[in-house]
Amino acid sequence: MSRKIKIEDILDNCLERLFKGESIEDCLRDYPWQASELEPLLKTSLALLQKSAAIQPNPEFKAKVGSQLQGMLRAKREKAEKKAMGPIWRRRWAVAMSTVLVVLLAGIGTVAASADALPDESLYAVKLATEQARIALAFSDTDRVELHIQFAERRATEIAEMARQGETGEIPALTERVANHLDKVHEAEKAQEFEEREPKMLAPAPAPVPGPAGKAWDYTEGGEPEEKLKTMLGESRARSLSVLQAALAKTPKGAKSSLEQAIRDVGQDYDEALSNLEN
Amino acid sequence: MSIDEKEVVTRAIKGDGEAFAQLYEEYFDKVYRYIYLRLREKAEVEDLAQEVFIKALEAIGSYRWRNLPFASWLFRIARNHMIDHLRKAGKVEKIDWDDNIAHVEGPNPARIAEQSLEIEELRGNVEQLSPAQRAVISLRFGGELSVDEVSKVLGKSPGTVKALQHSGIVALKKMMLVDR
Repeated sequence: MSRKIKIEDILDNCLERLFKGESIEDCLRDYPWQASELEPLLKTSLALLQKSAAIQPNPEFKAKVGSQLQGMLRAKREKAEKKAMGPIWRRRWAVAMSTVLVVLLAGIGTVAASADALPDESLYAVKLATEQARIALAFSDTDRVELHIQFAERRATEIAEMARQGETGEIPALTERVANHLDKVHEAEKAQEFEEREPKMLAPAPAPVPGPAGKAWDYTEGGEPEEKLKTMLGESRARSLSVLQAALAKTPKGAKSSLEQAIRDVGQDYDEALSNLEN
Repeated sequence: MSIDEKEVVTRAIKGDGEAFAQLYEEYFDKVYRYIYLRLREKAEVEDLAQEVFIKALEAIGSYRWRNLPFASWLFRIARNHMIDHLRKAGKVEKIDWDDNIAHVEGPNPARIAEQSLEIEELRGNVEQLSPAQRAVISLRFGGELSVDEVSKVLGKSPGTVKALQHSGIVALKKMMLVDR
């Protein structure tokens, strides 16, 4: 066996073996030239393992949390079942109408004020509800695709802002929202063929969705729609990643790794969305 | 992740309560231990462990593989939640990932004498590690994650994790006096 292996690698290999129930002696036998350095480290590791294993949550508390989670799951399932009832257009209208109601109750001013809200602010729920309404009221799947791309970018901007503030707790959820919007791009794009055969249920058409520079997006105009969509997604990817990369310099040290992870995830989500278009 | 676990996670993503319960059984103690090694108050540890699983339940529908093992995904939630908690409590940690040098040259007799229970002694020792070492040791020994899983939770290379694991154990060896 090579004696050039780093002690860190040997230690890790032995640790894995200890985790699986092998003895310290088994491991030392394979690395006799490192035995004197390795043995005390493995003894420490074994003691650490044994002491860690002694840390146990209170069984009553564990059971209580378990049943609380099951209750939440049941409620979630019931909600999903209710939501699944009725045709798509009716569900969209239901979402839209309930959101319009929220908007009316909250007031136009509140909705406008929510535009820059971040996940840790109370107006953020209004912002998301307004977005849902815009998606639900979109005239066509083309409009819906554009909205989802726009909102994916918004989430990326929010990740950047949260990271700058050192608030890492919401970053994974925001990253998932980016992924969800990009998943919907594919779903809506697939639904377009179906839409062409179905009578329009929603009318009239909303105003064109403004692009980030105030320019209206229209991927159906000129060239193949799929190519246009790819270009649009590619440009959105570049903008989102650029916003996130720019935030790195202003992010506190403790939040940097969360932001770096988000950059990797968001990039991957866009790549997946682009590859879904090709398949 | 084993094939069985992948299947369980896939079912949990689709809202299968039994599958989520299986994941809960598999990971609750590990998440609890991980948090326990980082915080002092039992009530605080319980609250955080509970909140981590509530967050996981809310987010599991949108979990995707992305080369990210389920354990890493779950512990990333736990870690982010704990960082937020520490920050709100005014205990912000600055992590220097290049810091492989043990901060502690030997045991702190006054502190260890106060900690009669072995577990408390362990927590006290882990607390004396550098933040980067502590992050790795608590995930590796408390969460029972592999080096690859830890590297995905922390967004660091496996090489960095192994180096921190090594320096952390060297530091703990001095503190725990295993050889005595």
